[in-house]
Amino acid sequence: MLGYATRRLLALIPTLLAASLLVFLFVHLIPGDPAAVLLGDTATPEEVEALTREMGLNAPLYLQYLYWLGNVLQGDLGTSIFFGAPVLSVIADGAETSILLAVMTMVWIVILGVPIGVVSATRHGTWVDQVASGGAMLFASVPTFWLGLYLILIFSVSLGWLPSSGYPSISDDGGLANLRYLLLPSFTLAAPNAALIIRLVRASMLDVQREDHVRTARAKGLAPWKVATKHVFRNALIAVAAAFGFTFAALVSEAVVTETVFSLPGIGRLVVQSILRRDYPVIQGVILIIVVLYMVINLLVDLAYAWLDPRVSLK
Amino acid sequence: MTLNRPLKTILAAAFAASMASTAYAGGTLRYATVGEPPSLDQHVVTSDLATTIAHHMFEGLYTFDAANAPQPLLAESDRLENDGKTIVITLRKDVTFHDGTDMTSADVVASLKRWGEHGSRGSLLFSNVESVEATGDHEVTIRLSKPFGPWKNLMAFINGGPAIYPASVVADAGKAPISPENYIGTGPYKFGEWQANRHVELVRFDDYDSPSGAADGYAGERKANFDALRFIPVPDVGTRVSGLQAGDYDYAESIPGDLFADLDANPQVTTIVNGGPLFGLVFMNSKDGPLKENFALRRAIQTAIDKVPALQVAIGPDKLWRANGSFLPKGNVWYTEAGAENFSRGDADTARSLAKEAGYNGEPIKFMVSTNYPFHYDTAIVYTKQLAQAGFNIDLQVYDWATLIKKRAEPDQWDLFFTHHGFVPDPILISVMNDNYPGWWTTPEKAALKAKFTESADPAERQKLWGEIQALIYEQVPTMKTGDVYTYNIASTKLTGLGEATLIWPHFWNVDK
Repeated sequence: MLGYATRRLLALIPTLLAASLLVFLFVHLIPGDPAAVLLGDTATPEEVEALTREMGLNAPLYLQYLYWLGNVLQGDLGTSIFFGAPVLSVIADGAETSILLAVMTMVWIVILGVPIGVVSATRHGTWVDQVASGGAMLFASVPTFWLGLYLILIFSVSLGWLPSSGYPSISDDGGLANLRYLLLPSFTLAAPNAALIIRLVRASMLDVQREDHVRTARAKGLAPWKVATKHVFRNALIAVAAAFGFTFAALVSEAVVTETVFSLPGIGRLVVQSILRRDYPVIQGVILIIVVLYMVINLLVDLAYAWLDPRVSLK
Repeated sequence: MTLNRPLKTILAAAFAASMASTAYAGGTLRYATVGEPPSLDQHVVTSDLATTIAHHMFEGLYTFDAANAPQPLLAESDRLENDGKTIVITLRKDVTFHDGTDMTSADVVASLKRWGEHGSRGSLLFSNVESVEATGDHEVTIRLSKPFGPWKNLMAFINGGPAIYPASVVADAGKAPISPENYIGTGPYKFGEWQANRHVELVRFDDYDSPSGAADGYAGERKANFDALRFIPVPDVGTRVSGLQAGDYDYAESIPGDLFADLDANPQVTTIVNGGPLFGLVFMNSKDGPLKENFALRRAIQTAIDKVPALQVAIGPDKLWRANGSFLPKGNVWYTEAGAENFSRGDADTARSLAKEAGYNGEPIKFMVSTNYPFHYDTAIVYTKQLAQAGFNIDLQVYDWATLIKKRAEPDQWDLFFTHHGFVPDPILISVMNDNYPGWWTTPEKAALKAKFTESADPAERQKLWGEIQALIYEQVPTMKTGDVYTYNIASTKLTGLGEATLIWPHFWNVDK
């Protein structure tokens, strides 16, 4: 398994190089000019051109790419045009919010998605299953911005239990108590994803329940809960594990709407704002990191497969 | 029981400290902004959001009172010599920068020179400046090639204006905005921190020496009551409103018109309508395309449009807009109705015949608009419909704002584009007066009137000349004004000292919670 993981990590290098080139080209092909955004509406084309020159953005594209790539290889993602700060520190500021949001969202998904999915499968065809499946459909269809705004109205404006928006770092005053700022956003983000997990757990368990080894277990006289947990649930987890992996990776990019509604200083909102501002170094840096994240999680999912299912061999 | 001397001393000090602290309301004012400013460097950036934050930190030689008249701020007095070609400004002697150094004429000269060379609005004044010199520790002399009437208004307008920084900060600064670690000004608040995507925070400057006199607009006494001002980006308007109602913010800006009636009637929220309206502008291309020098065709387009339905659709409540043809609002010294009878004729038949006389044969007219500002897009949709009814073939091109401002610099890419303009205290600051602004209105008639307008120092004569320029705008139509838009903000009812309207940008000195 170690050799497999090493080979997969080495394969990241050419993929990342190709991704970096694509990202760089796409970002620079969008019309627009950071100098014009920076200077505002009253700037004349001459003033914009002068600042573009001063920022070195008038150099040929291939030179700009090579210069950027050279810095990236040394661990320097450049300097944000907008913030004037190193891209890594700008991303690190957003990463805390995004990672904690993703983790708390995953907690909601696991707490809600797995048990309800299991109950729905074990009570297949009953009213319990009908209610769980209907609820899952409802939450999968509700737009997150709508759900988020209603949660704010209920829990912040009317009841005053939770803050409406923002997120002070856990290293600021308040410490871990600041995680309460992420309760509503993580639930909002979890709702549609938990609904999908409910449906996936239910479907996988129903598939596994029909297999011969489950019939054998039942024939041996094992208790139904033991059959459900040891023989059905564990095997159903193989498909669910992959979904968890990709859901976690996707949360970073999917969180844009939730981060906007709850005004969270996360990576999703950062990348959207950076696109609007044409802050090239930040866009490139964030996308590159998301690519790495996807690839690492993909690898972890493959490793998890092998752990969950001994029949899967990693070569 | 008696207290020993050290304990008495400690208690006395604690009591004194507690009494001293009651001089301030303290706490942090939390302001929900629509986004983050590009930079707070006032020389080069003209974003209103940047100025809303920065004018608590940076000050200029002059500022505006409630009647939009320029008043001394860092300046103490001034005099004109040599028939108005020499300006001698005496500076206040009690001014300290946030880094603890005293402000002297060397700082003012360095700041003015950088603003003149690289500033967004500096070239307007500096195209006439021969020299700027320190003629004393607290005296600056500006020599002009010819008199320039609006010099004080330009200096008082801090947005894209001559904020005074220490000479050490501006010595090596070019066109690129100065970085946050060099945000050193003289204002009642100093720079605290800028956490990307989180907030910009200013903290009270305890050594601030306020200008004297009663507070009047931005002039007069400035007292920083809060410990800190925190400007938090909250891009979603629903969240800004809910956050204020939930008590998470004290002030929230740029609330849309469709929420106005409810919020205005809500006793738990204060609505503050901006006193200085912004106005939409549709620029016409004077450099290329079918509208180049074809003033008759431009007048045909102007004649086709009825501005009222677009304002109703795009803005909403009557209280938030005026179909006003004057470039400056009623009540302002620059208000004039010259040419404004052509502001909103909405006469499709006349427009059609005018277009025919102008030689228009149905060729496409490229109209660029951005969806970043909903009122731009909504207005453009109504105009496109009205123009189509008058026989114009409008090719509506919808972009994001960054793309639009890139494309408008290329004359062959557009014929019309939509933008808006903030309130300005002197018409010389309106973008159409700048020959290099996209649209490139540079006719000899404009040049002659503009020269007279800038050279005159007589207020009555300048007002008369502005009337002639406005009439010329309606005749040559380099741009079409779309009407006045009164944006509004909301505040917690706990805030006191806000006033009923903001002058241009909200300010939080002399405000309590």
